[in-house]
Amino acid sequence: MIWLTWRQFRVQALTALAILAAAAICLLVTGLRMHHTYAADLATCTPRHDCSDALSAFGKSYSSAFNLTELLVIAAPGLIGIFWGAPLIGRELETGTNQLAWTQSVTRSRWLAVKLAGVGIASIATAAVLSYLLTWWAGPLDQINGNRFAAMTFSSRDIVPLAYAVFAFALGTTAGLLLRRTLPAMAVTLAVFVGIQILVPTLIRPNLLPSTTVTFPVNKTTASQATGIYTSGGGAEIYIAGLPVPPGAWVISAPPVEDSSGQAVAAYNHLNCFPGTSGPPTKGTGIDVDQTAACLAAYHLHQSVTYQPARYYWPLQWYETGIFLALAGALSCISFWWIRRRRT
Amino acid sequence: MISFHLDARSGIAPYLQIVGQVRQALLLGLLSEGDKLPTVKEVVAKVAINPNTVSKAYRELEHLGLAAAKPGVGTFITRSLGDASLAEHGPLQQELRTWLERARAAGLTEPGIDAMFQNTRRESATEEI
Amino acid sequence: MNAVLQAHALGKSYGQRQALTDCTLEIPLGHVVGLVGPNGAGKTTLLKIACGMLAPTTGRIEVLGEPPAAGPAQLARVGYVAQDTPTYASLSVADHLKLGAKLNPRWDANLARARIDQLDLDPRQRAGKLSGGQRAQLALTVAVAKRPELLILDEPVASLDPLARRDFLRHLMESVAENDTSVILSSHLVSDLERVCDYLIVLVASRVLLTGETEDLLAQHHRIVCSRRQATDLPPELDVIWAEHTDRQSTFIVRSQTEVPAGYWSAQHLELEDLVLAYMESAADRGRRPTTHPTGDAR
Repeated sequence: MIWLTWRQFRVQALTALAILAAAAICLLVTGLRMHHTYAADLATCTPRHDCSDALSAFGKSYSSAFNLTELLVIAAPGLIGIFWGAPLIGRELETGTNQLAWTQSVTRSRWLAVKLAGVGIASIATAAVLSYLLTWWAGPLDQINGNRFAAMTFSSRDIVPLAYAVFAFALGTTAGLLLRRTLPAMAVTLAVFVGIQILVPTLIRPNLLPSTTVTFPVNKTTASQATGIYTSGGGAEIYIAGLPVPPGAWVISAPPVEDSSGQAVAAYNHLNCFPGTSGPPTKGTGIDVDQTAACLAAYHLHQSVTYQPARYYWPLQWYETGIFLALAGALSCISFWWIRRRRT
Repeated sequence: MISFHLDARSGIAPYLQIVGQVRQALLLGLLSEGDKLPTVKEVVAKVAINPNTVSKAYRELEHLGLAAAKPGVGTFITRSLGDASLAEHGPLQQELRTWLERARAAGLTEPGIDAMFQNTRRESATEEI
Repeated sequence: MNAVLQAHALGKSYGQRQALTDCTLEIPLGHVVGLVGPNGAGKTTLLKIACGMLAPTTGRIEVLGEPPAAGPAQLARVGYVAQDTPTYASLSVADHLKLGAKLNPRWDANLARARIDQLDLDPRQRAGKLSGGQRAQLALTVAVAKRPELLILDEPVASLDPLARRDFLRHLMESVAENDTSVILSSHLVSDLERVCDYLIVLVASRVLLTGETEDLLAQHHRIVCSRRQATDLPPELDVIWAEHTDRQSTFIVRSQTEVPAGYWSAQHLELEDLVLAYMESAADRGRRPTTHPTGDAR
């Protein structure tokens, strides 16, 4: 059965191997150069104390390669689910070859188990290689950006891509088994995978661990720590930006300035605090932070910031991995149960 | 080696057809005493018929005393019917030839001749009983 | 245990549609069984249940003494070739044999190789590039080389040309002769079956109408031609299966365990095809009256 799984998977495996090899060479070559340049730039700018400018220029020069590679590593599990998962069983049911496979001397459960294990392991390995390569390659850039929690970054580093690969693979195989056709299974897998990649970073990931909320009263002290005040929504909301959070923390939400009863405060109700503008102030109209903050202080307003501390990075990675592994397990259980039913 | 065929439309049971074909071969001298009949496997590999049919036919041949099975070796003819018959009945065959010439001269077609022969043969067979 | 298949009140339904109804069968070992019936009668369903691809809705079935596909040991004893003889298009002939070898403990590699040679198949040729007849032969080889005690074939020759059909049956019979395999094969063409099958099952509209040894069935059925009369006017020991009347003449197809008594009629034996057709037509006429053994009250 192992031989058969390999023989059927051979073309896909070799294709993936070729792509991985190409990607690895690409990343190794550019990565070594980048690491070298980074070290050199760092050595130059440190005595001059203008590193923030020099390094942000460095980061910008790699930004398109950075985004592209992150996208690749996020997409890879999806592609695994679509091209390895969906046809695994879907193709057999579509062409009727399951009638040949299930009437040899292996039970359906064993057949499914070996296929899932074999290609599943290949999926994990592929995702692992890609994740490792990217995590290494983007080292300097991650340091410069200082934002390991960015949606695309978190999803393409360390162990989370492996869990996504397992999940997408299980999703694809289950879809193929239930829908009995490859193309619809591919479409469903794609849709669900894209949906997950959009929803998880925004809705699920922030809430996997209890977050910390810090409330800053709006006054001159706060203003001195902030980087600016701006309004939005046509003057309906006021935001104070850049308030200090622990280094490396992941800011999940910063609702607009609220009064003591928890209501959002509208700028056009306090036009006296926003001088130099005619009509409701809009973003980027050069509001003077200190003056406006001092003016608003009288109204006892506050700005909350909710964040996850930097040290939660790895726990969040593990939790997310666990969730997707559990989902993959549930999908596999459904597959095993379904394949034994023999209804049609 | 004798080869068999199956006439699906003849109304005669398949195993009897095989028995008949062996008999015919014996009469024509194509098979004689000591000849080996093809194995069941060989027969069905050439003619797509049920092996049980062939087995049954061979058992019937044994029952009729025409053949005998040697376990592990095969089934062999035990009696000849061929040469003796033809040699003994040479004059009969000559009479038949003469009659045929006369029948054709009288204008009978080949099917007509067959029909007359079959009918007369059947009638006389039942009369004899 | 000397039944290759035993089914009791077997039924299979898909929602509203009844694919098999109340099928009771006891098929003896060592036969080539023909399962015949019109398209949609339930033949494929019955065979799929027998090889374990489907589970019945009601009733029970045992194949070679065990429930179908009960485990690897039972799976090894039964070979199955589905309709349209599916093969892996991208795998070569040799790959298929390796598949058989890896997945079957009793695989006979010499037999498989000998058959492939005999069939003149190129081992490196991909199954997708083979002709229909060659694919059928390949599928049969894989099924036969696993040395099953029972071979189940679903319309194996339906889409083959006459030569390929004859070749397939010849090779099948050769396997049966060599290995003493029991075979259950289905077809909607009776002419295929009468050469090779010595046991018959007639399945029409989800019901089993007739089972028995072909020879016995042919001996027991007669066509009776007589003057116009009712079926009930015939002797009671004659089971009327089918009837046709003109203004002067009645023709009946009857079944009788004993000789047809003498009377003012002509009684002849039937061709297998006519026999099966009689059952199929009578089921259609009667509109599925629920009996497994049709009683003698035709029109």
